[in-house]
Amino acid sequence: MNRDRYLRQQGVEGLDVDRLRAMRVAVVGAGAIGNEVVKNLVLMGVGAVDVHDFDRVEIHNLTRSVFLRESDVGAGKARAVVDRASAIDPNVHLRAVEGDAWRTLRLADVERLDVVICAVDNVEARMRLSQLAMLAGVDLVNAGIDSRYASVEVFPHGSADPHACFECHLPESAYRKVAERYSCGWLRRSMLAEDKVATTAITASVAGALAVQAALRVGGEVGPGARRTLFDTRTGACTVVSLGRNASCPGCAPLSPRPRRVAAGGDWRRALALHAADADAVLLSDPLIFDYACTGCGTTPHAAGYVGRRADEFDDRIMRCAACGQLAARVDIRSEAAVDDLLQLYGDALPPAKYMLAKVGEPGAVCIDLEE
Amino acid sequence: MGLPQEYKLSIRTADQTRRAELALSPQQTGAEIIQSAVDHWALPTDADYTLVNVTQGRAVKPNETLDEAGANAGDVLEVQPVLVAGGGARGVI
Repeated sequence: MNRDRYLRQQGVEGLDVDRLRAMRVAVVGAGAIGNEVVKNLVLMGVGAVDVHDFDRVEIHNLTRSVFLRESDVGAGKARAVVDRASAIDPNVHLRAVEGDAWRTLRLADVERLDVVICAVDNVEARMRLSQLAMLAGVDLVNAGIDSRYASVEVFPHGSADPHACFECHLPESAYRKVAERYSCGWLRRSMLAEDKVATTAITASVAGALAVQAALRVGGEVGPGARRTLFDTRTGACTVVSLGRNASCPGCAPLSPRPRRVAAGGDWRRALALHAADADAVLLSDPLIFDYACTGCGTTPHAAGYVGRRADEFDDRIMRCAACGQLAARVDIRSEAAVDDLLQLYGDALPPAKYMLAKVGEPGAVCIDLEE
Repeated sequence: MGLPQEYKLSIRTADQTRRAELALSPQQTGAEIIQSAVDHWALPTDADYTLVNVTQGRAVKPNETLDEAGANAGDVLEVQPVLVAGGGARGVI
């Protein structure tokens, strides 16, 4: 490695090139902000960058995504971004992870990161990444844009001091919009048009710069606690505010105190017996289908295809009974379950969730990692 | 000493095209103030908003009253958009 590459950074107060070389960062979302974030991380010489995205390149991405070209249309975004970013600095270890980040980011992997940068496209995905970062105790930088503003929030989940999470200041209207995407609580609506928010390369580049500064802390710590920067790209006006913890936050209140992560090791019953023997119920990371029956004809023709699986594998079309055609199926979906019910449904098999939380809110709270 | 009967505050949108001087009850919550601003100024309802106290450099939680948020007379409140787009085609996850 030719260290002259980083010569002009070595004189920057509070910038330790070797510290950056040792850092490992995950960027979730390889859209407009994600492109800018990856560009800055690689130029700064960060040691390892994982880029997560399930999406494919579309022609309209090209007006805001510095690494994408017309020849990439149809290709995986994460792969395309990593391939081009690798040419900037071969010393940076870049890895493309294609797929749903909720499935590809295991808790054990998140724990090994220094920071997660969230550059996704909807509030629900941000909530989920926030949960992962909190459980792993890893700092989260959350970046969002529209056509005028860039917003970057820092949540120091690596700190033991009480601090806000992404949801602590989220308005009720945001939860209503998430709920509108679902039918009967957990089944995604099949006929829902997703809103498209107008964005520009200008807001994306500002968000990307602010997010990387927050992630790398060039020049040292700004201060304790969570904070949000909102930058108006038209006027240059900028506000920085601290974000206080919300004691009744639906996101972080159940994770306080932070549950200790333990590996299921392929045997969730044993892990539960070892670490939370007196727990009679658990919270599940993923809502699961416990029962399925048609209240119209009384048959359960497809129950075997649904019961025991994750609700997010289906949408509300399964509410229509395949036998009688009536919209009358009763689907029992739970995100909290009695241990006895889990035993009855899965026996020794692993439930198809990322993790289960036991003794929530108690000093002995545990997170049983079902993926390890 | 009891609570003041009302706070005289300034409230504005993030683009600062809308401003008002208001007398607000110390018991009004962040969510209530945002809803009033959305209604009064006919702000787009497809967006979500958060309230910040610019003078004190801190955000007001939706369920937090002005009193709990430590607001003082003369403070400037700003209604800011909640930005959840990342500039991709669809959502990730």
